Amino acid sequence: MSNQRQASSASQVPHLSPAELSYLYTSLSLPKNPIRPDGRSPTQFRPLSAETTILPGTNGSARIGFADGTQAIVGVKAEVEKTVLAADTLDSRSLAQHGDALNREGEEGSAAVSGQGEWVQMSIEIPGYRDDDALPIFLGEMMRESLVGSVENKEEMAGGLKARLVINKRWHWRLYIDVLLLSQPLSYPLPLLSLTTHLALLSTKLPKLKSTGEEDPFFDDDWAAAEYLYPRSKPSSGPFHPVRPPVTILVVSVGENIIFDPNREEISVADAVLAISITRSHDSDALKLLSIRSIDPPSRLTQSGIPNSENVNMIGSTPAENPSQEEVSGVWRPRRGGVKRSVVARMIKTVLGKGGVGEEVLEGLEGVEVH
Amino acid sequence: MADRRRINGPPGGTRPPVYASLQESTTGAAQRAQRQRQPAELRKIFLQTGMIPTASGSSYLEFEPSASLAAARANPKSLIPPSSALKVACTVHGPKPLPRSAAFSPNLVLTTHVKYAPFAARKRRGHIRDASERDLGVHLETALRGAIIAERWPKSGLEITLTIIEAEDDRWWGDAPDSHDASWGLMNVLAGCITAASAAIADAHIDCLDLVSGGVAALVSDESNSASSIPRLMLDVDPAEHRSILSACVVAYMPARDEITEIWLKGDSSRAALEKGDDRSSHEALIDGAVDAARGANTVLSEAVRESITRSIAQA
Repeated sequence: MSNQRQASSASQVPHLSPAELSYLYTSLSLPKNPIRPDGRSPTQFRPLSAETTILPGTNGSARIGFADGTQAIVGVKAEVEKTVLAADTLDSRSLAQHGDALNREGEEGSAAVSGQGEWVQMSIEIPGYRDDDALPIFLGEMMRESLVGSVENKEEMAGGLKARLVINKRWHWRLYIDVLLLSQPLSYPLPLLSLTTHLALLSTKLPKLKSTGEEDPFFDDDWAAAEYLYPRSKPSSGPFHPVRPPVTILVVSVGENIIFDPNREEISVADAVLAISITRSHDSDALKLLSIRSIDPPSRLTQSGIPNSENVNMIGSTPAENPSQEEVSGVWRPRRGGVKRSVVARMIKTVLGKGGVGEEVLEGLEGVEVH
Repeated sequence: MADRRRINGPPGGTRPPVYASLQESTTGAAQRAQRQRQPAELRKIFLQTGMIPTASGSSYLEFEPSASLAAARANPKSLIPPSSALKVACTVHGPKPLPRSAAFSPNLVLTTHVKYAPFAARKRRGHIRDASERDLGVHLETALRGAIIAERWPKSGLEITLTIIEAEDDRWWGDAPDSHDASWGLMNVLAGCITAASAAIADAHIDCLDLVSGGVAALVSDESNSASSIPRLMLDVDPAEHRSILSACVVAYMPARDEITEIWLKGDSSRAALEKGDDRSSHEALIDGAVDAARGANTVLSEAVRESITRSIAQA
């Protein structure tokens, strides 16, 4: 039943005593240099091992394992599907066939050109959770919205992933992204799943199209000729800004400090938790923000400690303090309320800034060999 | 996950016919709704508490219909309404003891349940909650959990149920989805849900740090050629009134503490143009705009809660 209560919320209940939580909070909120349980610096990520194209039956796949033993596999499959415009769309194309001098607002059949977000489907499986529990659905929507929300203006990827899935006006690709967490969710699984999805999409190939224009699609059956979903042709001139799938980074604030990639213990004392999705901008070195979502900090589910002054067993042994005192040092009390706007701005800036964490993560992912 | 226990209507929905001649005519049946408000002007909100006597707390929230919708209702020219306005009913049950089988909880266990009525949107919704409704529930839970003082009710549960009676559109009904298309209507729905739930919680006399209210700000572009136009920041947007929304942000905000309990921002905000001398980045401007909208909603919320308190004192 405790499992079921966990599942009703998108965050996991921490299994630490108030004393442990207080110790963790104090060491993580030390001004300027927090001490993390595993000795990392605030912006350092956990070491991981990654490989791509591990599943021969998929269009693209990847596996990432963290050093703590959590592992995830992502498989991407693509299907050709007929494009159907929504029934309630005022389709200006069919109206125009009547020879009426309609002003064709927008481009002709813009739905067929720009693609639809529904063509990307994502399913997440986490052991111990049902597929309609809050956590998998929340994570899935979070990763999907940044995937389909990234709109590039570059020639080979104009319109972003959605437009890349368009074959012609009548046909499109449908992309199924299946995320499988192989281990128990020891920490909040978002960074692991997002990085694995990134690599799987990078390695995704679609068969080369042989038909042209509005013909029914017909593909080259040589898999070696297949093209990458995210193209990687280098331009002959100018700086190279590859189009890349977005990455979602988990950021927590503890006291004055901002800490990246928290493990399970660290996230359980966080004051605020944000998931920030970024990608490379198409025309400069800068990073682009795609989405921010706040995540319910698990500290709100914890039990607060009882100071000696209020403890019945300790009456007489401690000097009576003012009972209305809110904060007693060394006694765990989960933070109430929300987060200040300045803290949110600082968290975003640390991710997006020049030489910030976002660049570091994307550079690290570039280092993974994609076949 | 199809609903097999009931006989359901067609999943795709139906629509009245639109004739090509109607498009051309100047009657305006197929004309896009236009925003009549200033960029920083909010829609009026109707909010009343205590509408559902069997619940320990309840509220009903309604947004003012847009000018074109009001005109279409007064003088109908087409069977298709030009836009829609949000209507939400919220009930709060509890705090009540957790079931015997539940594990011990030192805090109030909050359960949020957001459901669209089958007729709420232009496309029919099923009876089983889909992914977007569950997602809204999680967002709402995050927003409220930050405001409720949960340790005052150990071993208790609080159930918050929201029924969306009429939802906002994601875009103008006649538009085919363009490259910036996303479920923008969800963000308005979430903001309304936060405000309504906050009123219902206050009506149920649950201790909170402050009244938390929701607000939306968005970067919109109204030119037909979205590549050249410069998106502008607007508060409380109705997606049906704009050609494309590039980026939007919802916050749940507590004015007395100046704190945000929930933030949801999505879309590409990199091309926005702010006023001269404004050196904020566009996402900061979006968050600030959403906070301003939430402050506006809070004035209505506190008035509704005052009415609720007056009524309960009069009854006592």
